[in-house]
Amino acid sequence: MQRGSAKPERKQRVNEHFLGFGLGLRPDHHQTVVDQRPPVDWFEILSENYMVAGGKPLHFLDRIRADYPMVMHGVSLSIGSTQALDRNYLHDLRALAVRVQPRWISDHLCFTGVQRQNLHDLLPMPYTEEAIAHVADRVAQVQDYLGQQILLENVSSYVTYRDSALTEWEFLTQVADRADCLILLDINNIFVSSRNHAFDPMEYLLGIPIRRVRQFHLAGHTYQGEIAVDTHDQPVLDEVWNLFAEAVRRFGAVSTMIERDDNIPELPELLAELDTARRIAEPLLAGGARE
Amino acid sequence: MSDLAQLQGAFQAYITQHDPAMLEHVVSTPAATAEQRLEIYAEAYRLRLLETLETDFPGLHGLLGDVQFEQLGRAYIDACASQHASIRWYGGRLSDFLRDRSPYREQPALAELARFEWAQGEVFDAADATPMGIAALQGIAAQDWAELSVQVHPSTRLLNLSWNVPVVWQALDADEAPPPLSAAERPVAWLMWRRELRPHWRSLQPDEAWALQQALAGGSFGVICEGLQTWLEVEQIPLRAAGFIKQWVSDELVVELRLSSKAAS
Ligand SMILES: [Fe+2]
Repeated sequence: MQRGSAKPERKQRVNEHFLGFGLGLRPDHHQTVVDQRPPVDWFEILSENYMVAGGKPLHFLDRIRADYPMVMHGVSLSIGSTQALDRNYLHDLRALAVRVQPRWISDHLCFTGVQRQNLHDLLPMPYTEEAIAHVADRVAQVQDYLGQQILLENVSSYVTYRDSALTEWEFLTQVADRADCLILLDINNIFVSSRNHAFDPMEYLLGIPIRRVRQFHLAGHTYQGEIAVDTHDQPVLDEVWNLFAEAVRRFGAVSTMIERDDNIPELPELLAELDTARRIAEPLLAGGARE
Repeated sequence: MSDLAQLQGAFQAYITQHDPAMLEHVVSTPAATAEQRLEIYAEAYRLRLLETLETDFPGLHGLLGDVQFEQLGRAYIDACASQHASIRWYGGRLSDFLRDRSPYREQPALAELARFEWAQGEVFDAADATPMGIAALQGIAAQDWAELSVQVHPSTRLLNLSWNVPVVWQALDADEAPPPLSAAERPVAWLMWRRELRPHWRSLQPDEAWALQQALAGGSFGVICEGLQTWLEVEQIPLRAAGFIKQWVSDELVVELRLSSKAAS
Protein backbone atom coordinates (compact mmCIF):
# COMPACT_ATOMS: atom_id res chain seq x y z
CA MET A 1 0.00 0.00 0.00
CA GLN A 2 1.46 3.35 -0.99
CA ARG A 3 1.07 6.21 1.40
CA GLY A 4 1.70 9.90 1.11
CA SER A 5 4.74 11.07 2.99
CA ALA A 6 4.99 14.66 1.85
CA LYS A 7 3.18 16.05 4.84
CA PRO A 8 1.98 14.78 8.21
CA GLU A 9 -1.64 13.69 8.17
CA ARG A 10 -4.25 15.98 9.58
CA LYS A 11 -5.78 14.65 12.77
CA GLN A 12 -8.58 12.28 11.81
CA ARG A 13 -11.19 11.71 14.44
CA VAL A 14 -13.25 9.32 12.49
CA ASN A 15 -11.20 6.80 10.58
CA GLU A 16 -7.88 6.72 8.82
CA HIS A 17 -9.46 6.73 5.36
CA PHE A 18 -11.60 9.79 5.91
CA LEU A 19 -9.81 12.61 4.11
CA GLY A 20 -12.64 15.08 4.60
CA PHE A 21 -14.06 17.20 1.79
CA GLY A 22 -12.20 17.54 -1.48
CA LEU A 23 -12.44 18.72 -5.05
CA GLY A 24 -11.49 17.40 -8.43
CA LEU A 25 -8.33 19.27 -9.41
CA ARG A 26 -8.76 20.95 -12.80
CA PRO A 27 -6.08 22.76 -14.81
CA ASP A 28 -8.23 25.93 -14.74
CA HIS A 29 -7.55 26.15 -11.01
CA HIS A 30 -3.89 25.10 -10.89
CA GLN A 31 -2.52 28.61 -10.46
CA THR A 32 -5.15 29.69 -7.95
CA VAL A 33 -4.59 26.62 -5.82
CA VAL A 34 -0.84 27.23 -5.74
CA ASP A 35 -1.25 30.94 -5.01
CA GLN A 36 -4.05 30.80 -2.47
CA ARG A 37 -3.90 27.34 -0.89
CA PRO A 38 -7.68 27.21 -0.60
CA PRO A 39 -9.37 25.37 2.28
CA VAL A 40 -9.86 22.05 0.52
CA ASP A 41 -8.99 18.94 2.52
CA TRP A 42 -7.73 16.96 -0.46
CA PHE A 43 -7.73 16.79 -4.24
CA GLU A 44 -8.64 14.10 -6.70
CA ILE A 45 -6.66 14.26 -9.92
CA LEU A 46 -7.66 12.82 -13.27
CA SER A 47 -4.78 10.43 -13.83
CA GLU A 48 -4.76 10.83 -17.62
CA ASN A 49 -4.25 14.60 -17.33
CA TYR A 50 -0.85 13.97 -15.82
CA MET A 51 0.31 11.03 -17.92
CA VAL A 52 2.53 13.36 -19.92
CA ALA A 53 6.28 13.76 -20.12
CA GLY A 54 6.62 17.17 -18.44
CA GLY A 55 5.70 20.82 -18.67
CA LYS A 56 2.93 22.68 -16.91
CA PRO A 57 0.72 19.76 -15.83
CA LEU A 58 3.48 18.03 -13.85
CA HIS A 59 4.89 21.36 -12.66
CA PHE A 60 1.60 22.15 -10.94
CA LEU A 61 0.95 18.59 -9.88
CA ASP A 62 4.13 18.43 -7.82
CA ARG A 63 3.52 21.81 -6.21
CA ILE A 64 -0.06 21.07 -5.28
CA ARG A 65 0.77 17.57 -4.08
CA ALA A 66 3.27 19.10 -1.64
CA ASP A 67 0.38 20.93 0.04
CA TYR A 68 -2.53 18.48 -0.18
CA PRO A 69 -3.35 14.78 0.10
CA MET A 70 -4.33 13.37 -3.28
CA VAL A 71 -6.14 10.46 -4.81
CA MET A 72 -5.87 9.36 -8.44
CA HIS A 73 -8.96 8.81 -10.57
CA GLY A 74 -8.70 7.32 -14.07
CA VAL A 75 -11.06 7.01 -17.02
CA SER A 76 -9.22 4.61 -19.33
CA LEU A 77 -8.62 1.44 -17.35
CA SER A 78 -11.60 -0.14 -19.16
CA ILE A 79 -11.78 -2.82 -16.50
CA GLY A 80 -14.88 -4.38 -18.04
CA SER A 81 -13.66 -4.60 -21.62
CA THR A 82 -13.24 -7.97 -23.30
CA GLN A 83 -10.08 -6.68 -24.90
CA ALA A 84 -6.80 -7.36 -23.08
CA LEU A 85 -5.72 -4.93 -20.37
CA ASP A 86 -3.56 -2.14 -21.76
CA ARG A 87 -0.13 -2.86 -20.28
CA ASN A 88 1.29 0.49 -21.40
CA TYR A 89 -1.51 2.28 -19.64
CA LEU A 90 -0.93 0.29 -16.46
CA HIS A 91 2.76 1.06 -16.65
CA ASP A 92 2.09 4.79 -16.94
CA LEU A 93 -0.49 4.63 -14.17
CA ARG A 94 1.95 2.96 -11.83
CA ALA A 95 4.67 5.46 -12.71
CA LEU A 96 2.28 8.33 -11.92
CA ALA A 97 1.37 6.67 -8.63
CA VAL A 98 5.04 6.51 -7.69
CA ARG A 99 5.26 10.24 -8.31
CA VAL A 100 2.01 11.23 -6.60
CA GLN A 101 1.90 8.67 -3.77
CA PRO A 102 -1.90 8.89 -3.80
CA ARG A 103 -4.00 7.73 -0.89
CA TRP A 104 -5.75 5.47 -3.38
CA ILE A 105 -6.40 4.87 -7.08
CA SER A 106 -9.82 4.57 -8.67
CA ASP A 107 -11.48 4.02 -12.04
CA HIS A 108 -14.94 3.04 -13.24
CA LEU A 109 -16.91 -0.18 -13.41
CA CYS A 110 -17.41 0.03 -17.16
CA PHE A 111 -15.75 -0.54 -20.51
CA THR A 112 -14.45 2.20 -22.79
CA GLY A 113 -14.05 0.29 -26.05
CA VAL A 114 -12.98 -2.92 -27.76
CA GLN A 115 -10.71 -3.77 -30.71
CA ARG A 116 -8.06 -1.34 -29.49
CA GLN A 117 -10.39 1.61 -29.75
CA ASN A 118 -11.05 4.06 -26.97
CA LEU A 119 -14.44 5.75 -27.15
CA HIS A 120 -13.49 7.94 -24.19
CA ASP A 121 -16.81 7.15 -22.59
CA LEU A 122 -17.82 5.06 -19.59
CA LEU A 123 -20.06 2.39 -21.07
CA PRO A 124 -22.13 0.29 -18.67
CA MET A 125 -21.65 -3.42 -18.16
CA PRO A 126 -24.44 -5.97 -18.43
CA TYR A 127 -25.24 -7.23 -14.95
CA THR A 128 -24.46 -10.89 -15.56
CA GLU A 129 -22.47 -13.68 -13.96
CA GLU A 130 -20.15 -13.70 -16.97
CA ALA A 131 -19.38 -9.99 -16.50
CA ILE A 132 -18.76 -10.39 -12.76
CA ALA A 133 -16.25 -13.17 -13.33
CA HIS A 134 -14.60 -11.24 -16.13
CA VAL A 135 -14.23 -7.99 -14.18
CA ALA A 136 -13.15 -9.72 -10.95
CA ASP A 137 -10.36 -11.50 -12.78
CA ARG A 138 -9.11 -8.27 -14.31
CA VAL A 139 -9.31 -6.31 -11.06
CA ALA A 140 -7.11 -8.98 -9.50
CA GLN A 141 -4.54 -8.47 -12.27
CA VAL A 142 -4.59 -4.69 -11.82
CA GLN A 143 -4.35 -4.86 -8.03
CA ASP A 144 -1.42 -7.26 -8.33
CA TYR A 145 0.32 -4.95 -10.74
CA LEU A 146 -0.27 -1.79 -8.70
CA GLY A 147 0.39 -3.52 -5.39
CA GLN A 148 -2.75 -2.09 -3.81
CA GLN A 149 -6.51 -2.35 -3.78
CA ILE A 150 -8.32 -0.13 -6.26
CA LEU A 151 -11.70 1.57 -6.04
CA LEU A 152 -14.33 1.03 -8.71
CA GLU A 153 -16.96 3.69 -9.31
CA ASN A 154 -20.57 3.14 -10.37
CA VAL A 155 -21.29 4.97 -13.65
CA SER A 156 -24.39 6.76 -14.88
CA SER A 157 -26.22 4.79 -17.53
CA TYR A 158 -28.90 5.49 -20.10
CA VAL A 159 -29.53 1.93 -21.29
CA THR A 160 -30.79 -1.27 -19.70
CA TYR A 161 -29.49 -4.43 -21.37
CA ARG A 162 -31.83 -7.32 -22.02
CA ASP A 163 -29.00 -9.59 -20.81
CA SER A 164 -28.89 -8.12 -17.30
CA ALA A 165 -30.03 -10.59 -14.67
CA LEU A 166 -29.13 -8.59 -11.53
CA THR A 167 -29.70 -5.10 -10.21
CA GLU A 168 -26.82 -2.65 -10.59
CA TRP A 169 -26.11 -2.67 -6.85
CA GLU A 170 -26.06 -6.47 -6.73
CA PHE A 171 -23.64 -6.43 -9.63
CA LEU A 172 -21.38 -3.81 -8.05
CA THR A 173 -21.38 -5.60 -4.71
CA GLN A 174 -20.59 -8.97 -6.23
CA VAL A 175 -17.75 -7.55 -8.31
CA ALA A 176 -16.27 -5.85 -5.23
CA ASP A 177 -16.61 -8.97 -3.09
CA ARG A 178 -15.28 -11.34 -5.70
CA ALA A 179 -12.37 -9.08 -6.65
CA ASP A 180 -11.80 -7.84 -3.10
CA CYS A 181 -11.68 -4.25 -4.28
CA LEU A 182 -13.18 -1.08 -2.83
CA ILE A 183 -16.02 1.12 -4.03
CA LEU A 184 -16.18 4.76 -5.03
CA LEU A 185 -19.85 5.56 -4.75
CA ASP A 186 -20.96 8.36 -7.06
CA ILE A 187 -24.12 9.70 -5.47
CA ASN A 188 -25.10 11.66 -8.55
CA ASN A 189 -24.66 8.60 -10.76
CA ILE A 190 -26.94 6.59 -8.48
CA PHE A 191 -29.52 9.34 -8.74
CA VAL A 192 -29.19 9.66 -12.53
CA SER A 193 -29.43 5.91 -13.09
CA SER A 194 -32.38 5.63 -10.69
CA ARG A 195 -34.27 8.15 -12.83
CA ASN A 196 -33.33 6.48 -16.09
CA HIS A 197 -34.12 2.95 -14.97
CA ALA A 198 -36.92 3.64 -12.49
CA PHE A 199 -35.41 2.14 -9.35
CA ASP A 200 -35.35 3.45 -5.79
CA PRO A 201 -31.95 5.00 -5.04
CA MET A 202 -32.39 4.17 -1.34
CA GLU A 203 -32.60 0.52 -2.23
CA TYR A 204 -29.29 0.96 -4.06
CA LEU A 205 -27.60 2.54 -1.03
CA LEU A 206 -28.91 -0.17 1.27
CA GLY A 207 -27.63 -2.84 -1.08
CA ILE A 208 -24.01 -1.70 -0.95
CA PRO A 209 -21.77 -3.17 1.78
CA ILE A 210 -20.64 -0.41 4.15
CA ARG A 211 -17.08 -1.57 4.63
CA ARG A 212 -16.25 -1.46 0.92
CA VAL A 213 -17.09 2.22 0.37
CA ARG A 214 -14.01 4.43 0.51
CA GLN A 215 -15.07 7.57 -1.39
CA PHE A 216 -18.10 9.56 -2.57
CA HIS A 217 -18.48 11.62 -5.72
CA LEU A 218 -20.96 14.47 -6.05
CA ALA A 219 -21.76 16.21 -9.34
CA GLY A 220 -24.44 17.96 -11.34
CA HIS A 221 -26.58 16.53 -14.11
CA THR A 222 -29.06 17.75 -16.74
CA TYR A 223 -31.97 16.30 -18.69
CA GLN A 224 -32.26 15.34 -22.33
CA GLY A 225 -36.00 14.85 -22.66
CA GLU A 226 -36.95 12.26 -20.06
CA ILE A 227 -33.40 11.01 -19.60
CA ALA A 228 -31.09 12.35 -16.90
CA VAL A 229 -27.56 12.83 -18.21
CA ASP A 230 -24.43 12.95 -16.09
CA THR A 231 -22.95 16.16 -17.48
CA HIS A 232 -20.85 17.51 -14.56
CA ASP A 233 -21.51 20.98 -15.92
CA GLN A 234 -23.53 22.57 -13.14
CA PRO A 235 -23.99 22.57 -9.36
CA VAL A 236 -25.15 19.52 -7.44
CA LEU A 237 -28.96 19.39 -7.48
CA ASP A 238 -31.14 19.28 -4.35
CA GLU A 239 -32.29 15.71 -5.00
CA VAL A 240 -28.66 14.64 -5.02
CA TRP A 241 -27.90 16.52 -1.79
CA ASN A 242 -30.79 14.66 -0.19
CA LEU A 243 -29.42 11.36 -1.37
CA PHE A 244 -25.98 12.37 -0.13
CA ALA A 245 -27.43 12.90 3.35
CA GLU A 246 -28.88 9.40 3.22
CA ALA A 247 -25.52 8.05 2.10
CA VAL A 248 -23.77 9.75 5.03
CA ARG A 249 -26.35 8.27 7.40
CA ARG A 250 -25.64 4.81 6.07
CA PHE A 251 -21.92 4.87 5.34
CA GLY A 252 -20.68 7.39 7.93
CA ALA A 253 -17.50 9.36 7.38
CA VAL A 254 -16.54 8.76 3.75
CA SER A 255 -14.13 11.01 1.86
CA THR A 256 -16.35 13.23 -0.26
CA MET A 257 -15.59 15.38 -3.27
CA ILE A 258 -17.28 17.39 -6.01
CA GLU A 259 -16.57 16.78 -9.68
CA ARG A 260 -16.97 19.62 -12.16
CA ASP A 261 -15.75 19.04 -15.70
CA ASP A 262 -17.60 21.56 -17.82
CA ASN A 263 -18.70 25.19 -17.31
CA ILE A 264 -15.99 25.21 -14.70
CA PRO A 265 -16.57 28.22 -12.39
CA GLU A 266 -14.02 30.15 -10.36
CA LEU A 267 -12.75 28.26 -7.37
CA PRO A 268 -14.76 30.17 -4.70
CA GLU A 269 -18.00 28.90 -6.20
CA LEU A 270 -16.83 25.31 -5.83
CA LEU A 271 -15.58 26.01 -2.31
CA ALA A 272 -19.05 27.26 -1.41
CA GLU A 273 -20.55 24.11 -2.87
CA LEU A 274 -18.13 22.05 -0.83
CA ASP A 275 -19.29 23.89 2.28
CA THR A 276 -22.79 22.68 1.50
CA ALA A 277 -21.47 19.12 1.59
CA ARG A 278 -19.83 19.82 4.95
CA ARG A 279 -22.97 21.44 6.32
CA ILE A 280 -24.98 18.37 5.40
CA ALA A 281 -22.50 15.76 6.55
CA GLU A 282 -20.99 17.15 9.72
CA PRO A 283 -24.12 17.18 11.93
CA LEU A 284 -24.89 13.64 10.80
CA LEU A 285 -21.38 12.49 11.61
CA ALA A 286 -21.39 14.23 14.99
CA GLY A 287 -24.68 12.51 15.66
CA GLY A 288 -22.87 9.19 15.85
CA ALA A 289 -23.15 7.60 12.45
CA ARG A 290 -20.94 4.64 11.73
CA GLU A 291 -17.47 4.83 13.23
CA MET B 1 -17.25 -14.93 -29.18
CA SER B 2 -18.63 -14.60 -25.65
CA ASP B 3 -21.94 -12.86 -25.03
CA LEU B 4 -20.06 -10.06 -23.32
CA ALA B 5 -17.64 -9.55 -26.20
CA GLN B 6 -20.48 -9.59 -28.67
CA LEU B 7 -22.45 -7.02 -26.69
CA GLN B 8 -19.47 -4.72 -26.37
CA GLY B 9 -18.63 -4.98 -30.06
CA ALA B 10 -22.22 -4.19 -30.98
CA PHE B 11 -22.34 -1.19 -28.64
CA GLN B 12 -19.15 0.20 -30.12
CA ALA B 13 -20.43 -0.38 -33.66
CA TYR B 14 -23.59 1.54 -32.81
CA ILE B 15 -21.67 4.45 -31.36
CA THR B 16 -19.16 4.72 -34.18
CA GLN B 17 -21.27 3.67 -37.18
CA HIS B 18 -24.88 3.51 -36.01
CA ASP B 19 -24.89 -0.23 -36.67
CA PRO B 20 -28.47 -1.25 -35.72
CA ALA B 21 -27.48 -4.69 -34.36
CA MET B 22 -27.21 -3.17 -30.88
CA LEU B 23 -30.86 -2.14 -30.78
CA GLU B 24 -32.08 -5.61 -29.85
CA HIS B 25 -29.84 -5.70 -26.76
CA VAL B 26 -31.45 -2.64 -25.19
CA VAL B 27 -34.81 -2.28 -23.44
CA SER B 28 -37.20 0.41 -24.66
CA THR B 29 -39.35 2.11 -22.03
CA PRO B 30 -42.12 4.71 -22.16
CA ALA B 31 -39.52 7.32 -21.19
CA ALA B 32 -37.25 6.59 -24.13
CA THR B 33 -36.83 3.99 -26.87
CA ALA B 34 -33.74 1.84 -27.24
CA GLU B 35 -32.70 4.00 -30.16
CA GLN B 36 -33.08 7.25 -28.22
CA ARG B 37 -31.07 5.79 -25.38
CA LEU B 38 -28.25 4.57 -27.61
CA GLU B 39 -28.28 7.86 -29.45
CA ILE B 40 -27.29 9.64 -26.23
CA TYR B 41 -24.05 7.65 -26.28
CA ALA B 42 -23.46 8.07 -30.01
CA GLU B 43 -23.85 11.82 -29.87
CA ALA B 44 -21.93 12.23 -26.60
CA TYR B 45 -19.05 10.36 -28.25
CA ARG B 46 -18.91 12.87 -31.10
CA LEU B 47 -19.37 15.91 -28.89
CA ARG B 48 -16.61 14.80 -26.56
CA LEU B 49 -14.14 14.33 -29.40
CA LEU B 50 -15.26 17.58 -31.04
CA GLU B 51 -14.61 19.39 -27.79
CA THR B 52 -11.08 18.06 -27.55
CA LEU B 53 -10.42 19.09 -31.18
CA GLU B 54 -11.72 22.58 -30.39
CA THR B 55 -9.36 22.78 -27.44
CA ASP B 56 -6.34 21.61 -29.41
CA PHE B 57 -7.03 23.55 -32.63
CA PRO B 58 -8.45 26.93 -31.61
CA GLY B 59 -6.86 28.68 -34.60
CA LEU B 60 -8.31 26.26 -37.11
CA HIS B 61 -11.64 26.59 -35.34
CA GLY B 62 -11.45 30.39 -35.55
CA LEU B 63 -10.44 30.35 -39.19
CA LEU B 64 -13.12 27.89 -40.33
CA GLY B 65 -15.91 29.10 -38.04
CA ASP B 66 -18.21 26.90 -35.94
CA VAL B 67 -20.15 25.26 -38.76
CA GLN B 68 -17.23 24.27 -40.96
CA PHE B 69 -15.09 23.25 -38.03
CA GLU B 70 -17.81 20.94 -36.78
CA GLN B 71 -18.15 19.49 -40.28
CA LEU B 72 -14.43 18.84 -40.37
CA GLY B 73 -14.45 17.40 -36.85
CA ARG B 74 -17.28 14.98 -37.61
CA ALA B 75 -15.57 13.83 -40.80
CA TYR B 76 -12.35 13.25 -38.86
CA ILE B 77 -14.19 11.41 -36.09
CA ASP B 78 -15.85 9.11 -38.61
CA ALA B 79 -12.52 8.43 -40.30
CA CYS B 80 -10.23 8.19 -37.27
CA ALA B 81 -11.01 6.19 -34.15
CA SER B 82 -9.10 7.03 -31.00
CA GLN B 83 -6.55 4.43 -30.02
CA HIS B 84 -5.06 6.36 -27.15
CA ALA B 85 -5.53 5.90 -23.44
CA SER B 86 -5.73 9.67 -23.10
CA ILE B 87 -7.99 11.87 -25.21
CA ARG B 88 -5.14 14.38 -25.21
CA TRP B 89 -3.61 12.57 -28.23
CA TYR B 90 -6.77 12.28 -30.30
CA GLY B 91 -6.05 15.16 -32.70
CA GLY B 92 -2.61 13.87 -33.72
CA ARG B 93 -3.74 12.83 -37.19
CA LEU B 94 -5.84 15.89 -38.02
CA SER B 95 -3.06 17.59 -39.96
CA ASP B 96 -2.54 14.52 -42.17
CA PHE B 97 -6.29 14.22 -42.59
CA LEU B 98 -6.48 17.81 -43.85
CA ARG B 99 -3.52 17.28 -46.14
CA ASP B 100 -4.95 14.14 -47.75
CA ARG B 101 -8.72 14.58 -47.85
CA SER B 102 -10.87 16.51 -50.23
CA PRO B 103 -12.04 19.26 -49.95
CA TYR B 104 -9.42 20.21 -47.36
CA ARG B 105 -6.41 19.21 -49.43
CA GLU B 106 -7.29 21.98 -51.88
CA GLN B 107 -6.38 24.45 -49.09
CA PRO B 108 -2.96 23.20 -47.98
CA ALA B 109 -2.63 26.03 -45.45
CA LEU B 110 -5.20 24.27 -43.26
CA ALA B 111 -3.01 21.20 -42.78
CA GLU B 112 -0.10 23.47 -41.93
CA LEU B 113 -2.12 25.43 -39.40
CA ALA B 114 -3.14 22.14 -37.77
CA ARG B 115 0.47 20.99 -37.71
CA PHE B 116 1.50 24.28 -36.12
CA GLU B 117 -1.16 23.98 -33.42
CA TRP B 118 -0.44 20.32 -32.72
CA ALA B 119 3.24 21.14 -32.31
CA GLN B 120 2.31 23.70 -29.65
CA GLY B 121 0.62 20.93 -27.72
CA GLU B 122 3.64 18.67 -28.07
CA VAL B 123 5.91 21.43 -26.85
CA PHE B 124 3.58 22.22 -23.96
CA ASP B 125 3.96 18.90 -22.18
CA ALA B 126 7.22 17.52 -23.60
CA ALA B 127 9.78 16.22 -21.12
CA ASP B 128 11.43 18.61 -18.68
CA ALA B 129 15.10 19.63 -18.62
CA THR B 130 16.90 22.47 -16.88
CA PRO B 131 18.36 24.98 -19.37
CA MET B 132 22.00 25.96 -18.90
CA GLY B 133 22.88 29.51 -17.90
CA ILE B 134 24.71 31.95 -20.13
CA ALA B 135 27.54 32.24 -17.56
CA ALA B 136 28.64 28.68 -18.23
CA LEU B 137 29.68 29.69 -21.76
CA GLN B 138 32.59 31.66 -20.37
CA GLY B 139 34.17 28.59 -18.84
CA ILE B 140 34.68 26.86 -22.16
CA ALA B 141 38.28 26.75 -23.39
CA ALA B 142 38.87 28.04 -26.92
CA GLN B 143 40.40 24.75 -28.13
CA ASP B 144 37.32 22.78 -26.96
CA TRP B 145 34.73 24.61 -29.04
CA ALA B 146 35.06 22.51 -32.19
CA GLU B 147 34.32 19.33 -30.22
CA LEU B 148 31.27 20.61 -28.41
CA SER B 149 27.86 19.27 -29.19
CA VAL B 150 24.67 20.98 -28.13
CA GLN B 151 22.07 19.13 -26.15
CA VAL B 152 18.82 20.98 -26.78
CA HIS B 153 15.69 21.04 -24.66
CA PRO B 154 13.42 18.02 -25.28
CA SER B 155 10.54 20.31 -26.27
CA THR B 156 12.44 21.69 -29.29
CA ARG B 157 10.67 21.35 -32.64
CA LEU B 158 11.64 22.58 -36.11
CA LEU B 159 8.77 23.19 -38.51
CA ASN B 160 9.05 24.09 -42.17
CA LEU B 161 6.02 26.15 -43.08
CA SER B 162 5.09 27.32 -46.55
CA TRP B 163 2.24 29.54 -45.36
CA ASN B 164 2.01 32.47 -42.99
CA VAL B 165 0.17 30.36 -40.44
CA PRO B 166 2.04 31.61 -37.33
CA VAL B 167 0.97 35.17 -38.12
CA VAL B 168 -2.57 34.10 -38.85
CA TRP B 169 -2.65 32.07 -35.65
CA GLN B 170 -1.43 34.98 -33.57
CA ALA B 171 -4.13 37.27 -34.94
CA LEU B 172 -6.81 34.68 -34.27
CA ASP B 173 -5.46 34.13 -30.77
CA ALA B 174 -5.72 37.87 -30.11
CA ASP B 175 -9.27 37.93 -31.48
CA GLU B 176 -8.19 40.12 -34.36
CA ALA B 177 -9.05 39.74 -38.03
CA PRO B 178 -6.33 37.48 -39.46
CA PRO B 179 -4.34 38.57 -42.52
CA PRO B 180 -5.14 36.58 -45.66
CA LEU B 181 -3.39 33.25 -45.93
CA SER B 182 -0.43 33.57 -48.22
CA ALA B 183 2.38 31.29 -49.29
CA ALA B 184 6.03 32.31 -49.02
CA GLU B 185 8.32 31.89 -52.02
CA ARG B 186 10.05 29.05 -50.23
CA PRO B 187 9.26 27.30 -46.94
CA VAL B 188 10.32 29.13 -43.78
CA ALA B 189 11.87 27.26 -40.86
CA TRP B 190 10.24 27.88 -37.49
CA LEU B 191 11.73 26.98 -34.17
CA MET B 192 9.28 26.08 -31.43
CA TRP B 193 10.21 25.29 -27.85
CA ARG B 194 9.01 25.66 -24.29
CA ARG B 195 10.23 28.44 -22.10
CA GLU B 196 8.83 29.23 -18.66
CA LEU B 197 6.17 26.56 -19.17
CA ARG B 198 4.81 28.14 -22.38
CA PRO B 199 5.39 27.37 -26.06
CA HIS B 200 7.45 30.01 -27.86
CA TRP B 201 8.39 30.23 -31.52
CA ARG B 202 10.40 32.29 -33.95
CA SER B 203 11.38 32.02 -37.58
CA LEU B 204 14.95 31.17 -38.52
CA GLN B 205 17.27 32.22 -41.32
CA PRO B 206 18.27 29.26 -43.48
CA ASP B 207 21.77 29.06 -41.97
CA GLU B 208 20.50 29.05 -38.39
CA ALA B 209 17.85 26.50 -39.27
CA TRP B 210 20.50 24.25 -40.77
CA ALA B 211 22.80 24.71 -37.78
CA LEU B 212 20.04 23.89 -35.33
CA GLN B 213 19.07 20.82 -37.31
CA GLN B 214 22.68 19.64 -37.08
CA ALA B 215 22.72 20.36 -33.37
CA LEU B 216 19.51 18.36 -32.90
CA ALA B 217 21.10 15.47 -34.76
CA GLY B 218 24.14 15.59 -32.44
CA GLY B 219 26.56 17.32 -34.80
CA SER B 220 29.52 19.07 -33.15
CA PHE B 221 30.16 22.77 -33.30
CA GLY B 222 33.05 22.05 -35.67
CA VAL B 223 30.79 20.20 -38.08
CA ILE B 224 28.27 23.02 -37.91
CA CYS B 225 30.92 25.64 -38.67
CA GLU B 226 32.17 23.67 -41.63
CA GLY B 227 28.70 23.35 -43.09
CA LEU B 228 27.99 27.05 -42.70
CA GLN B 229 30.32 27.67 -45.66
CA THR B 230 27.25 27.11 -47.81
CA TRP B 231 25.98 30.51 -46.66
CA LEU B 232 29.00 32.42 -45.35
CA GLU B 233 32.59 33.38 -46.08
CA VAL B 234 35.00 31.40 -43.91
CA GLU B 235 36.03 34.44 -41.88
CA GLN B 236 32.40 35.31 -41.03
CA ILE B 237 31.64 31.86 -39.67
CA PRO B 238 33.06 31.93 -36.10
CA LEU B 239 31.17 35.07 -35.16
CA ARG B 240 27.93 33.90 -36.71
CA ALA B 241 28.16 30.43 -35.13
CA ALA B 242 29.04 31.85 -31.72
CA GLY B 243 26.04 34.15 -32.11
CA PHE B 244 23.76 31.16 -32.65
CA ILE B 245 25.00 29.43 -29.51
CA LYS B 246 24.61 32.57 -27.40
CA GLN B 247 21.14 33.10 -28.73
CA TRP B 248 20.12 29.49 -28.09
CA VAL B 249 21.48 29.59 -24.58
CA SER B 250 19.74 32.84 -23.75
CA ASP B 251 16.55 31.45 -25.32
CA GLU B 252 16.79 28.64 -22.73
CA LEU B 253 16.99 26.17 -25.56
CA VAL B 254 20.26 24.56 -24.50
CA VAL B 255 20.43 22.04 -21.70
CA GLU B 256 24.12 21.23 -21.95
CA LEU B 257 27.20 21.72 -24.09
CA ARG B 258 28.95 18.41 -24.20
CA LEU B 259 32.44 17.53 -25.28
CA SER B 260 32.01 14.92 -28.00
CA SER B 261 34.74 12.29 -28.39
CA LYS B 262 37.73 13.34 -30.52
CA ALA B 263 37.23 10.29 -32.71
CA ALA B 264 33.75 11.40 -33.69
CA SER B 265 34.87 14.51 -35.48
FE1 LIG C 1 -17.97 10.24 -10.65
